[in-house]
Amino acid sequence: MAKVQVLNVAVLDNPSPFGNPFQFEITFECMEDLPEDLEWKIIYVGSAESEEYDQVLDSVLVGPVPAGRHMFVFQADAPNTGLIPESDAVGVTVVLITCTYRGQEFIRIGYYVNNEYTDPELRENPPLKPDYTQLQRNILASNPRVTRFHINWEGSADKMEDSENVDPSPNISSMLPPSCIPGKMPPLGLMPDNSMDCM
Amino acid sequence: MFPNNYFFSYVLQNHSIVSVSLCLCIYGLINIIKFLREEDEKNENIPKMLCQMDNHLACVNCVRWSNNGLYLASGGDDKLVMVWKRAAGISVCVCFLFADVMDVAWSPHDVWLASCSVDNTIVIWNARKFPEMVTCLRGHTGLVKGLTWDPVGKYIASQADDHSLKVWRTVDWQMDANITKPFSECGGTTHVLRLSWSPDGQYLVSAHAMNNSGPTAQIVERDGWKTNMDFVGHRKAVTVVKFNPKIFKKKQKNGSSPKPGCPYCCCAVGSKDRSLSVWLTSLKRPLVVIHDLFDKSIMDISWTLTGLGMLVCSMDGTVAYLDFSLDELGDPLSEEEKNSIHQNIYGKSLAITSTEAQLSTTIIENPEMLKYQQERQNSAQTNIGPGCAGPESSAPKLNSVMNGESLEDIRKNLLKKQVETRTADGRRRITPLCIAQLDTGDFSPALFNSAPILPSGSSMSNQLTSQLSSDSSPGQASSLGLRPSHDPMLTSPPASSIPCLLLTSASKIEPMKALDSRFTERSKATPGVTAAISSTAGLTPLDSRPKDGISALKDIKSKEDTSSDSEDKMATINKNLSFSKRKPELLMDGGEVVEKRKKGRPRKEKMAAPIAQPFTQITPPAEREPSRVAAPPAPVAALKLPTPSIKKAFSLQVSMEPSVFLEVENEVSVVAGSKLSQLRCSRDGRDWNTLLPSSVVTAAGSSDVLAVACQDRMLSVFSSCGRRLLPAIQLATPVSAVHCSSHFVMVLTAGATLSVWDVQKQKALVKNESLLTILSGADSTVSQSLLTQQGVPVIGLSNGKSYCFSSSLETWTLIADKGDSLVQCADFRSCLSTHDAPASSGPLAVMQGRNLNAGRLASRLSSTPHHLQQSMTLAFLENQLASALTLQSAQEYRYWLLIYARFLVNEGSEYRLRELCKELLGPVHKSASTAWEPTTLGLRKRELLREVLPVIVENLRFQRLFTEYQDQLELLRNK
Repeated sequence: MAKVQVLNVAVLDNPSPFGNPFQFEITFECMEDLPEDLEWKIIYVGSAESEEYDQVLDSVLVGPVPAGRHMFVFQADAPNTGLIPESDAVGVTVVLITCTYRGQEFIRIGYYVNNEYTDPELRENPPLKPDYTQLQRNILASNPRVTRFHINWEGSADKMEDSENVDPSPNISSMLPPSCIPGKMPPLGLMPDNSMDCM
Repeated sequence: MFPNNYFFSYVLQNHSIVSVSLCLCIYGLINIIKFLREEDEKNENIPKMLCQMDNHLACVNCVRWSNNGLYLASGGDDKLVMVWKRAAGISVCVCFLFADVMDVAWSPHDVWLASCSVDNTIVIWNARKFPEMVTCLRGHTGLVKGLTWDPVGKYIASQADDHSLKVWRTVDWQMDANITKPFSECGGTTHVLRLSWSPDGQYLVSAHAMNNSGPTAQIVERDGWKTNMDFVGHRKAVTVVKFNPKIFKKKQKNGSSPKPGCPYCCCAVGSKDRSLSVWLTSLKRPLVVIHDLFDKSIMDISWTLTGLGMLVCSMDGTVAYLDFSLDELGDPLSEEEKNSIHQNIYGKSLAITSTEAQLSTTIIENPEMLKYQQERQNSAQTNIGPGCAGPESSAPKLNSVMNGESLEDIRKNLLKKQVETRTADGRRRITPLCIAQLDTGDFSPALFNSAPILPSGSSMSNQLTSQLSSDSSPGQASSLGLRPSHDPMLTSPPASSIPCLLLTSASKIEPMKALDSRFTERSKATPGVTAAISSTAGLTPLDSRPKDGISALKDIKSKEDTSSDSEDKMATINKNLSFSKRKPELLMDGGEVVEKRKKGRPRKEKMAAPIAQPFTQITPPAEREPSRVAAPPAPVAALKLPTPSIKKAFSLQVSMEPSVFLEVENEVSVVAGSKLSQLRCSRDGRDWNTLLPSSVVTAAGSSDVLAVACQDRMLSVFSSCGRRLLPAIQLATPVSAVHCSSHFVMVLTAGATLSVWDVQKQKALVKNESLLTILSGADSTVSQSLLTQQGVPVIGLSNGKSYCFSSSLETWTLIADKGDSLVQCADFRSCLSTHDAPASSGPLAVMQGRNLNAGRLASRLSSTPHHLQQSMTLAFLENQLASALTLQSAQEYRYWLLIYARFLVNEGSEYRLRELCKELLGPVHKSASTAWEPTTLGLRKRELLREVLPVIVENLRFQRLFTEYQDQLELLRNK
């Protein structure tokens, strides 16, 4: 099970003009000290049709993370309007917050985002070319969609344990001294067979 | 409303429903009903979904509230039983099983929690101390699909796919009855078989049974487990039976005579035919039958604690709520009246006694036993210390680290205050603000860690919610057009006169499918390694409140692992410390022998013996002759053991206590054409030396004897003062390794033969025994050899196997096998007691090395079924015991004996335990014919029994056994 649990994500500065930076206040809890940093990303989905228009607004490392409950504010600049298809600028899209550990994504929190003109006139007759200065971004904070993924939290240590689980095949064990079953501790120099660290 | 087909719901006393799909959601029942009745759909201020817990990784099969309403147990296809605590936040405790969990059940008074799974077993958990397993009930031969406790706590009944219903006693967890007849015609097609016990305890009603090839719910009488009656009428298999928790009596009509009617029970039966029937035990016909309530089979039924409401859920993902009136069911008896009924029938039952003695319902019959028990409790208390008494105190341990600053203040300035740096490659790195530390100092209570799911109730979460609700005013949401236009409560016409509110709400969530997929797919920007996608959660159409709070599930297991790993490390260090004190002769083995040895020159001992060694010629021919015969001629070439090379000079320490050093200098002088070698020995500062006619190849020694092997295949043995103890022994082939231990000398020759002599008695213990037996087959070589203090030779092979030659059995016996799967999987950690631990440093431990350690690690990591692991552990422990016996290692024998006894006690194997005690006690009355030896390896067996008895006390089940042997020991002592 996951070592990091996201307890809360508060959407700050919402709704706000389209050009304002995104701000998420993230509270998470960690079961034990993490040797490596967590990497958080905010991804803005430019168009529902294709991942091509996804923009990673920012990625940030968070650490060191000792066991306990932590919070931080993740602020990222608004999406680059030049990369958003004009037809998709107004309307509903999605913003994703992802967190990865050791390069593996273990949680994804998604919000619907509605971009619309505040001016009723513009709303009724939207300009052909979107006017981003007039757009308001509204994140549907009440409705997050959370997806969790199983990942390997241990990194290389896990692989070591795995190899211990594998029954040593007779071929391998007959070729190597008994204490040198692959993946275990290195042989202890002069007295490999007698090391009495059992029990 | 619910995305998954599998969905079950339950009611708890504070009127919440728990529904289950991939996630658990708790809905405010009252509010839903109100919501329906007032048709106040627009009012979003009434919270409907109270809580959502989405930590299960697969379909949840069952959820049950504890009787006190504080805990919720859930079990599912992810092989986990999770226990949730209803508190400010919801805590979680996870019990790991090895197979999908089909049903869970709380015992009366929440003493135990039972779970049954598709591996045919039922596990009883100690509900006061999760995740401690009380026992594992085995006997079913099919998937166990339903559980029910006797309301007075004396039995637990289970129904399985193996066409049987079994009743188990809670006193000793043995099977009390096995009922098969009504189920013999049943097919195994039902998803669940939820049986139920009547609240008065008199009847047990099974799910799916057959009578004259018609589906029935079999009524089993408590008295003799008779199966004479059944509920008939359903067209398809009965999946769920649920008794109303109340006992009823006939409603007193105004004006009628106050004649008290006989109390009766009420039972709901749900079936695969999508219909539901409700029965009163006072009526011959059902009170009501509702047909076609659902589209699919009924999965579970739950009554409200008042007994007047019932929730039924179906596989089609819908829930029905049925409301009964007192006129229909009768007057429910109060708890006191119910208790008095129980007391009348069963005497002072578990259901009535509500004191400490619940866990151990057995009466302690023996004062001695009581003494042990009390001692144990005292020591346990001092060990654990305060604060670990129960789940209550072991709940959330979050130490606030905010110095008087409220969370609100922190939040205001978080962005400004948080430390942001740039890494070397220019990336932003934020140091998160720690708002609470997890108290991980105490290990055992961490099993009940907290993780608030929804910020509701606690001060912190109030602040959070206030913030959040400002983000999501209803108006906004509707203006977005994102709120799924759900039509939650399609009330279908009730099929009976009973007011029946049917909540069939297929949620029609319209939003863009293209976007939806993005929520769950990992982006290319963040690749993952493992593939298991857990769940999508959070879309909560019924809910008006924010659901940002995401539950945290404590990773208890990983914690457990790390901490016990560190325990292991500690043990390792201890071991290394104790190791340095050990006698070094065990260390000096032939394992380091260099392979590129030149052959020992086959030089015939024709040359005249030097004057310094006049005894060389007197090598008795009788010694040589049989050795040639005994050594098989063929394998001499094949079995070529490496021999040490001749060095010009070498020295070694042969003993630490007293400290004895041996120095060898070859070819020091030439006398009469032959080269002499000098052997010098210093013992506690006193030196002696002697000369040998040939170059010394290897030497070994103990505090009593020194053995020197020469190039001419002669073995000389000296006392520690330099006196020659034996005439030089002629060996058939060059020496490979020599070992000394107390007054024993062991020689391993290049021709792969082994000899051991007892120098004191001047006798051979092992005579030119060939290693052919153990070396044949595999292309393995001798990697290690040693001689124990008792003169037992041990040979370790490169294939991980270790053998010792038993001189009494005159055969090679296997004492350790590093590739043995038993070793890999045996798990006896629970049987290790702390003060026993250091005792296990002996030849057995040396040969088995750290492999034991790895084995235990593996056992925790691999998912071996519990019963298999038990058997493996048992076999492993018995192997250890036998090996220690053959090695004549008394300390290790005692050590493993106690672990073995503890294991037997924990696992409840009475036969083996009894046999063990019997063997240790021996015949009480002297008789000539007995072959019983009062000692084993110098340990008095009855003393061992005296050590085993306190172990036996730890399981009250064995108190008779304890008393029996305690009395006999006393009797023998007085004699």
